[in-house]
Amino acid sequence: MSELNETIHQPIRLRIMAALVTLASDEEMDFTTLRKLLEVTDGNLGAHLRKLEEAGYIAVTKTFVERKPRTYVAVTPAGRQVFNQHVAALEKILKRK
Amino acid sequence: MNISPSEAEQALDVIQSMVKKTRRAVSTSGAYLFLIVWGTIWLIGFASSQFLADAVVGKIWAGLDILGAVLSAIIGIRMNRGVRSTSVSPLLGKRIGLFWLLLWVFCAAAIAVIWPPEPKQLAMIIILFVMTGWIAMGLLLSLMSASWGLAFTALALAAYFLLPDFFYIIMAILGGGGMIVLGLYIRSRW
Repeated sequence: MSELNETIHQPIRLRIMAALVTLASDEEMDFTTLRKLLEVTDGNLGAHLRKLEEAGYIAVTKTFVERKPRTYVAVTPAGRQVFNQHVAALEKILKRK
Repeated sequence: MNISPSEAEQALDVIQSMVKKTRRAVSTSGAYLFLIVWGTIWLIGFASSQFLADAVVGKIWAGLDILGAVLSAIIGIRMNRGVRSTSVSPLLGKRIGLFWLLLWVFCAAAIAVIWPPEPKQLAMIIILFVMTGWIAMGLLLSLMSASWGLAFTALALAAYFLLPDFFYIIMAILGGGGMIVLGLYIRSRW
């Protein structure tokens, strides 16, 4: 059943999830690219990513690319499912208008 | 959790615009820019081949090819999508680069074998090698792109064998123009 998700509904987290679900299921986005897309600060993005990671909606991978530290973020299958349910719930509310 | 219909509408708008922005930023990966750059080069180069003297045309093509190579390198470097696939080898990019390098070496070798080529033969050989690379990339990354490569190859061959007097102008308008239109279409679609 589709229902609203309080963790996802927060505006920045909603945009984070929208950006990540746009990627294919085997793709992950670089932290810097995500920050530029959202136009937020490092600290702000980091805080929201932690919330989503704690909820199990995203996975954060820290790695090295050409000896430089790089952080990648991907939506988990559970995150994708919850996001789709959230969107369905929003559409349902809109239909009642 | 309860929200009003107008809040729901606002949230859906935010999601839709974020999806669109993300697609623009990472999904097209700037590939359309290659089409626009090389389409413009073909348009100018082949139109010159049709209407100008051979001595001038050689210099124009040399200038255009250098410009195209520089612009392609700049686009390629700036094309960092910021996205990686966990199922694709990180070596893929390097292998693709090596493939194009080898393809150009093979193209140069084929031209050397038939040297001295007729200007039209030279153009057709380069087109065939470029299209081979395009189709190979299409089979690897996007089948739709491969089908466009096949269509351009068929067009070039038809013009070369059936309408040799109009070969250059057909390649300028339909080949170069077609690439520009395709590039703009991909840009607008995303």
